[in-house]
Amino acid sequence: MECPYLSIVVPLYNEEESVEELVSRIREVGRSFRFPYEIILVDDGSTDGTWDAIQRLKPGNPELRGIKLRSNCGQTPAMVAGFDHAKGEIIVTLDGDLQNDPADIPILLDKMKEGFDIVSGWRVNRKDHSSRVLPSKVANAIISRTTGVHLHDYGCSLKAYRAECITSLKAYGEMHRFFPALGSMTGARITEVAVNHHPRKHGASKYGFDRIFKVFCDIFTINLISKFSSNPLKGFALSSLPFFMAALFFAVLSFAAVAWHWTQGKALFFMVSSALSVTAAVHLVVLGLLAELVVNVSDLSHTQLMKITKKSIEGEPRCRVK
Amino acid sequence: MKYSIIFLVDELDPGLPPFIRTLREVLTWQKESYEIILVANGAGRETQMQIEGLLAEHEGLKAFELSCKAPQATALRAGFEESRGEIIMVCGSHQQISRESLVELMRSMDDSTDVVNSWRAERTDSSFNQLQSRVYNGLVRAVSRSDMHDLSSAIKLFRRQVLEEVEIYGNLYRFLPVLAAQKGFRVKEVRCTHHQWRGKTGLVGPAEYIERIVDIFTLYFITRFARKPLRFFSLFGLVFSLTGLAVTGTVFLQKLFLGYGIGERPVFLLGMFLLVLGVQVASTGLLGEIVAFTHGRRKPQYNVEKTI
Repeated sequence: MECPYLSIVVPLYNEEESVEELVSRIREVGRSFRFPYEIILVDDGSTDGTWDAIQRLKPGNPELRGIKLRSNCGQTPAMVAGFDHAKGEIIVTLDGDLQNDPADIPILLDKMKEGFDIVSGWRVNRKDHSSRVLPSKVANAIISRTTGVHLHDYGCSLKAYRAECITSLKAYGEMHRFFPALGSMTGARITEVAVNHHPRKHGASKYGFDRIFKVFCDIFTINLISKFSSNPLKGFALSSLPFFMAALFFAVLSFAAVAWHWTQGKALFFMVSSALSVTAAVHLVVLGLLAELVVNVSDLSHTQLMKITKKSIEGEPRCRVK
Repeated sequence: MKYSIIFLVDELDPGLPPFIRTLREVLTWQKESYEIILVANGAGRETQMQIEGLLAEHEGLKAFELSCKAPQATALRAGFEESRGEIIMVCGSHQQISRESLVELMRSMDDSTDVVNSWRAERTDSSFNQLQSRVYNGLVRAVSRSDMHDLSSAIKLFRRQVLEEVEIYGNLYRFLPVLAAQKGFRVKEVRCTHHQWRGKTGLVGPAEYIERIVDIFTLYFITRFARKPLRFFSLFGLVFSLTGLAVTGTVFLQKLFLGYGIGERPVFLLGMFLLVLGVQVASTGLLGEIVAFTHGRRKPQYNVEKTI
């Protein structure tokens, strides 16, 4: 097969009913493309007939590729599996549940031609239950505030990436919403465009309520990683400062208690408080050193990350049909 | 080659020579190609003599000796590297099963199975032994959300790919079927009758029990939080910190509004202590995230069964 310019990666988990419609809609859009493309369907350990559906579709669709994962690994690892198999220069990700509209892909690609490395979809009219929309809005606001990458909608799966940006995003866990933030670490230019969003047709939503805790953990992680992964000691040392200050404060008070003969209870109390604060502060600094060691022995240095976002200046895709 | 049978020999086992004889008979009768590999792991002089005797008796037997007593996972790796069979059968010491069960085990390894674990359903050892084994396996089941009944049974069959993909170390060896199942391999349990148990029985030393509990905890942590440690640590950190905050806050408010002196309240120190503990646990989780980020990306988080 000729080298595709665009790879469309779709993770699927129990989407038996949607697969056929999804592929036909992508193909419909694909007819307008003037370049070869591939559709990579990643079956994330579905327990229904998703894989059979993919296999059924394969014969008539040479641009279709299927990857079957052995177990349900989660949306992000499934996407990463797709990335690792993708051959295109540009990779577009989609949700498998038809809530994203493949017809929006050209909009993302057009935006990309303006020189962006990552274009994220923004579900302006989101068609989900309010119990999902509200926490998502809060999360988006926090991510936007803390990561310095300002998008309205991080959770939208419809995103387009320049392939060389993806290699730095070997994300883990459930981090796909942070791909833009991780990408910006490597200097990628990021923007968003409004896209359509449709209510679910088939199957149930695969998100639970405990996601809020998880997303907040992830937000914390991403901040830590993006700000301090190259100098972790700084982060740990900064967070130990309040404790050092508290320790100093309590130490002064305990000296005062001894000097001015306050009750013995007070003196003891201040002293122990001071000692506890010192404990916390020293623990943080020591952890920071350990973190520095971990980063030092890993093969992922910051310079390596920077190398990854070298962008070809020619602008026009290299692998295009004449 | 169809079968590679790896014996992990860590102590003298008088049942070994007859078992190998049975095994060879069964395999010859099935007309399958096979190899037998013995890995002596920290075994004594007597065991070595036994193995030498076996080498003299059976042609084509391979035997290796590890330079020092290694964890089971390492011993298995050593044997696995030498093996060439499509199906690897791993046998530990002291757990000989009957000929019928052996045939049954091999037959269970069909095309739709990746791992076969033998389950000593009718055990002949003491009821106390069975009880502690049942408790142990119950714990593992609860922690790993699997349905294995007998992880201590030492005869297990693996398709080659399983041992290539499921990375184990140290004591994780016993959890191989569970770990394989979590990776999406198809695991089957087969009821076996086994001969008289000749190994360790009854109450073992406290160190052994502690080790088993630690193993289960390792399994729990590694399988759920290896890539997202902050979730584990921050949960505990939050519980400690919030309790500490509640305690110190209450004492503080009581001082403000009711005039109780803080200096006379030892419980305030407890609150402070909990706050500090929470911070320590949560910040350790951050370190965990850094480790996962810097080193985790080398191992893919997914495993591909097939592509079209």
